[in-house]
Amino acid sequence: MAPSNKKHATEKACVIPGGFTVLSLQFSSDSVAQHSLYVKEHKVRTEKSSYRPLDRTLFVLNVPPYCSESVVKDLFSRFGRITSVELRDHPGSSEDSGPKLSKIFRPVSKQGFKVGYIVFESPSSIGAAKSHPHDDPLVVSTEQRPVETGIQKWIHQYTKSFIHPDKLQLTVDSFMQDYDRRKEEEAERQRQEAEKQQEDEEGWVKVTRGHKGTKARPHSEAANQRTLQREGRKNKRKELMNFYTWQHRNTQKEHIAELRKKFEEDKQRIALMRAQRKFKPY
Amino acid sequence: MHSFDLSHEDDEDDDGDDDEGEQLAAPIKPKRVRSNEEEEEVVYHPVKLSRNDLYRPPTAEELNHLKEAESLFHCSLLKMQMEELLKEVTLSERRKQQIDSFVKTVTRLLETVPVSPEVEVSDLSWLSGAVKVPFLLVPKTTKGKFHMAPPASIDLIGSYPLGTCIKPNIKVDLAVTIPADVLRPKDVLNQKYPRKRALYLAGLAQHLKSSSDIGTMRYSCLHGNRLHPVLLLTPSGKDSSCFTVCVHVCPPPGFFKPSRFHPQRNNIRSEWYTGLQASHAEGSGPPTPHYNTSVLADLLPRAHFQFLSAIKSQCSAFCDGVALLKVWLHQRELDQGTGCFNGFLASMLMAYLLINHRISNSMTAYQLLRNSLNFLATTDLTVSGISLARDPDSTAPSLAEFHSAFQVVFVDPSGHLNMCAGMTACTYKQLQHEAVVSMKFWDDPTVDGFHCLLMTPKPMIRTSDHVFQLCDLVKLQACCKKQNLLHELMDRSGNYVETALPFVLSLLQKGLGQRIHLLIHSLSPDPEWSVESEAPKYKAQPPLSFGLLLNPELAASVLERGPPADNPKAAEFRQLWGSRSELRRFQDGAITEAVLWDGKSTYQKRLVPKQIITHLLQLHADIPESCVRFVGAMIDDIIAKGNEVPSTGEEESLVVVQSYDDLSRKLWNLEGLPLSITAVQGAHPALRYTQVFPPEPVKLDYSFFDREKTCRSLIPKEDKPCPHYITPITVICHMEGSGKWPHDRTAIRHIRAAFHISLAELLKKNYNYTCRPCPTHLDVWKDGLVFRIQVAYHREPQVLRESVTADGLLVVRDNEEAQALEMATIHKPLLTSTLHGLQQQHPCFGAVCRLAKRWLAAQLFSEAVSEDAADLLVASLFLQPAPFTPPSSPQVGFLRFLRLLSAFDWRNNPLVVNLNNQLTAAEYTEIKNDFMASRESLPVMFIATPKDKKLSMWTRRAPSVQMLQRVMMVAAESLKVLEQQLMDGSQIQDVRVIMRPPLDAYDVLIHLNRKQVPLLRHAVDPPAVSFSRGVLADAAAQLGGALPVIDYNPVSLYLTELREAFGDLALFFCDPYGGTVISVLWKPKAFEPVPFKTSQVAARSVKVTGEEVKTVPNVEAILEDFRVIGKGLVKSVEARTEKWIF
Repeated sequence: MAPSNKKHATEKACVIPGGFTVLSLQFSSDSVAQHSLYVKEHKVRTEKSSYRPLDRTLFVLNVPPYCSESVVKDLFSRFGRITSVELRDHPGSSEDSGPKLSKIFRPVSKQGFKVGYIVFESPSSIGAAKSHPHDDPLVVSTEQRPVETGIQKWIHQYTKSFIHPDKLQLTVDSFMQDYDRRKEEEAERQRQEAEKQQEDEEGWVKVTRGHKGTKARPHSEAANQRTLQREGRKNKRKELMNFYTWQHRNTQKEHIAELRKKFEEDKQRIALMRAQRKFKPY
Repeated sequence: MHSFDLSHEDDEDDDGDDDEGEQLAAPIKPKRVRSNEEEEEVVYHPVKLSRNDLYRPPTAEELNHLKEAESLFHCSLLKMQMEELLKEVTLSERRKQQIDSFVKTVTRLLETVPVSPEVEVSDLSWLSGAVKVPFLLVPKTTKGKFHMAPPASIDLIGSYPLGTCIKPNIKVDLAVTIPADVLRPKDVLNQKYPRKRALYLAGLAQHLKSSSDIGTMRYSCLHGNRLHPVLLLTPSGKDSSCFTVCVHVCPPPGFFKPSRFHPQRNNIRSEWYTGLQASHAEGSGPPTPHYNTSVLADLLPRAHFQFLSAIKSQCSAFCDGVALLKVWLHQRELDQGTGCFNGFLASMLMAYLLINHRISNSMTAYQLLRNSLNFLATTDLTVSGISLARDPDSTAPSLAEFHSAFQVVFVDPSGHLNMCAGMTACTYKQLQHEAVVSMKFWDDPTVDGFHCLLMTPKPMIRTSDHVFQLCDLVKLQACCKKQNLLHELMDRSGNYVETALPFVLSLLQKGLGQRIHLLIHSLSPDPEWSVESEAPKYKAQPPLSFGLLLNPELAASVLERGPPADNPKAAEFRQLWGSRSELRRFQDGAITEAVLWDGKSTYQKRLVPKQIITHLLQLHADIPESCVRFVGAMIDDIIAKGNEVPSTGEEESLVVVQSYDDLSRKLWNLEGLPLSITAVQGAHPALRYTQVFPPEPVKLDYSFFDREKTCRSLIPKEDKPCPHYITPITVICHMEGSGKWPHDRTAIRHIRAAFHISLAELLKKNYNYTCRPCPTHLDVWKDGLVFRIQVAYHREPQVLRESVTADGLLVVRDNEEAQALEMATIHKPLLTSTLHGLQQQHPCFGAVCRLAKRWLAAQLFSEAVSEDAADLLVASLFLQPAPFTPPSSPQVGFLRFLRLLSAFDWRNNPLVVNLNNQLTAAEYTEIKNDFMASRESLPVMFIATPKDKKLSMWTRRAPSVQMLQRVMMVAAESLKVLEQQLMDGSQIQDVRVIMRPPLDAYDVLIHLNRKQVPLLRHAVDPPAVSFSRGVLADAAAQLGGALPVIDYNPVSLYLTELREAFGDLALFFCDPYGGTVISVLWKPKAFEPVPFKTSQVAARSVKVTGEEVKTVPNVEAILEDFRVIGKGLVKSVEARTEKWIF
């Protein structure tokens, strides 16, 4: 892809402090300006997931919005065969979010600049990417592989947004079946645990910690708070408010203090308004 | 100091004196960060009094003080506000010294006027050519002798020595008495005295001209009365504009007998005035009450001054009370010009109330004002005049005699003079109306009475629903002729404007009848002219403006039903309406006289008053239509559409609402759903009549589109212009709660999708509507409109808020997702139905909203002020109109909207929109207190509603401080430009000028390809070329058929992508209604070089200096991206500044 005659001009890769290599990227061959991609091998101490094997994953920053996963895959396959590409809004560990949703129900992702995790088949590809010269830009949209943007893309998106009701119904049904099954399993497990807590023939109860969320009594923040409030009210009822002389005197004092406070507040408000020339009627 | 054991005070215990400074300083910081530009402005902090101060034993004096503040006024704030206001308007000691010294100089100069030889009055040779006589000599002939002589006395009179003089326009009145030997007792007749007085004034002017102490010297006349010229003097030097000394010339006191000026007597002979021999015997010509009054008024100023001085000495708050009343009058434009209720009358009114014990001597200024307004509100001086005369002598006219000669009667202490002689009944009615309205607001604890009564100006254009002007005042001469008003003309010494005005007013009042609550007219300002030029002609006056306060129920009715044909009143009706009156038979069988005006759409019907006015003026006053400049509905054009029957959207909205009602009925009646529907609610501006351009039913041209085979839908073609934009109208459909609903967020989403599918099937089966179910919504193609139905489950927000922590505790945490869902399914439908109700009460509510939102969009603020927030702002104008009445025309509503935006003190006040009148006074206070307590953390534009007292959810995201600043600034400027243009017919009339935003402040402009802008025809200046957008003209909407292209707008798609990709670096602005330019503003903060961080490198390039790596935005690549992302839509990207090079 890279023309060989250009190769000898400045064949040096641009590496900045911090270990990132700067690759330049332009949309098409006649673009005048270039974005910089910052690539580095993926190296995180706590990373345990098998999605991003440490030695074969390339970490890419600043992927422009028009580069979808397949485009990125095409762009980087010049450095070696690629197993997977993952694009995300922010760098971070991949989280596992519940049951797998069908594409239709997945929330729409933001179309901004992304970070990418590219997993190559062989570790050597990372070196190739990291030593790629700066002045040989990657080209996003070429004759063979045009990338749709603008009106074309929006019309395409619009067309893709249609889902046949039957297909939609099918997705919903399968999800709900799955959901019901999970619910049932959950119920089954709870039943079993409840059973476990019952006395056996000899009158013993086996005490276990149990699974999360299996407590019998309502166990929520709101319930806790309600209990606290009830306690507080009980205490208050026991107290007599207007019994002693000093209590009465204090009420009067409070009243004067309240008046004073209001007066002061008003005065301050006026001072503020005056400072803003709010009293000039015209 | 900690001796009081009060449990609830514990949290305040620690703020003693020592750390008070810290307490005050702390809240400033976040504010500073948020608004760099206005650092010098003061911020309100809740006061912290130390415990020592709060609980120290009170002194008796302080107790009194606090008590008074609490009991006399609504709150002590009002009292203090009044005091501050008085401080602002009263004259400073320094200014008084300046005035005194200047008056002394002038007095000295005037005393040295040389004596000139006696000449004929008509001989002006003794005057040097440089000074003209300030008098219109019509007719020319005058007999008599005149000479100059030093004044008999020079005295200060009026408000300045009385102490009731207020800023601005400080006027110091100086009465110069003509020596008795210049005048003859018979001079009363035939304008001889007024002419001599004018000559004397010219003589004084000539004498003063040589002095260097006088800055400028101009003639004017007292309250527009040309018989009474005055000389205005200002000091020389830099103080020249601070005050004016007004020199009046009067006869010696008691020189003329007051009985000569009885309103029934004649003092201008017709034969002299017309030059014709008349048959009248001596002294029995037609009465000349106005002429008599103007001469008589000259005799009395000193007596009045003494009278008022005596009153003032009795009542200590008199001066302050009068000053407040004068401020009130000034805000209502009632205190200046011909026939005004001037400061003198204000003082006299207060004197009257004091004498009659309506107010007592010990009252405060605030109480004086309140009682005077109450008196004005309840007394009609046009029928029951009042008199200050204690025991008038036998020659004084009776009140009835005064009433027969004048429209408004208020007799002075001498019993001879009607001080309100020049006032028209309309002006008094206006005064009375204002007083009534003010009293109403004063008693309302939810209104900031001080602010709306004394601080808010009420210019006519913003007060009256419709305004029209009579431009060519010469035409009023024809009116006088047609109505045979010669005697009145003679009485008013040829001032045909004043002569014709009462007639015109009564004519309009009769013609408009029940359509209006009030008819007001502008008071022509006192003309001022240089001493070197001749007095200006009457026609040189600025146009007369008239304002109408409409009665919304009747104003727009096209039918004027008169009496039955055989009724004697029918003749009168025919006489009034002329050829427009015709006999008509009505459905109830009656045959009556009637007039039918033109008007099909609401927009045209709003102009019925215009038709009436032009017709009546043409018919009865010979005033051609070209002279009437009607400015009541000029702004409406901005949102007017349609060629044959122009309409401002009321009719289109009605079509949408009717179609929605039908759909909602059909949804209710659906059978076979697993759960029943509990509510169908509209959640779209079009369903509350406030959509700027309401969706119109369309018929599609199928050949224009491509087809999507599986779903039978149309899709846009790439090579064709962007198709017609079809707005989906959101409808929320609440489903019954049931145990069958899952308790899981994703499962609920799937169930909702299932409901969309089954709703679609049922609608298709029962009514053959084309539907398109999606996971999030269901689009229904019905009557050429698209409704977007969203199924909602009331417990879903709750489910979204719940989560289970690691140790099994169920916690409820508010989050964005739940809020957004509540907003869409609960708050928006509620707002829509509430505002729909408001539209039913106020027919022009929707139109005001549309204008307001059109303006916001055109000025590129539609991101800053959301549609819902804008609707709420407009709603507040109707619900809390103080000090106005609710607007009854779109134009006045729009002007007040601009005023609200620009003048509201957003920083220190919450805007409370009392929807459905649900809030009580106590809740108002609560809202205000909550707001004050946590101002810093609340949105900059805070709008509270009954359902949302603490958060201001509609403005939580936007506007930012900077955007609000800009909105306020642009609104103020737009208001100024617009009002000037509306009130001044000589300017270029183009109201759209306020809709064109200045683009020079932006860094990059992205020009769009017009072909791909679907709403191009709604642009402020629609282009001459239009594109075919796949819509057939003869609109008869079809049922069924393929689903059209819904909600496909490349401009908004592009903007979304831009904001998602570059939202951190720049702001993007675009007019959503046909704007063809996207303006980009770089965020200055994003352009500061920052160290390289993996989370902050989007669209940035690196700069390496040694070991340091900084990143800056890669502007060239970003501009390239603008082009790439908007391929096909973007025409060009124009970088206008080089700002990114730092």
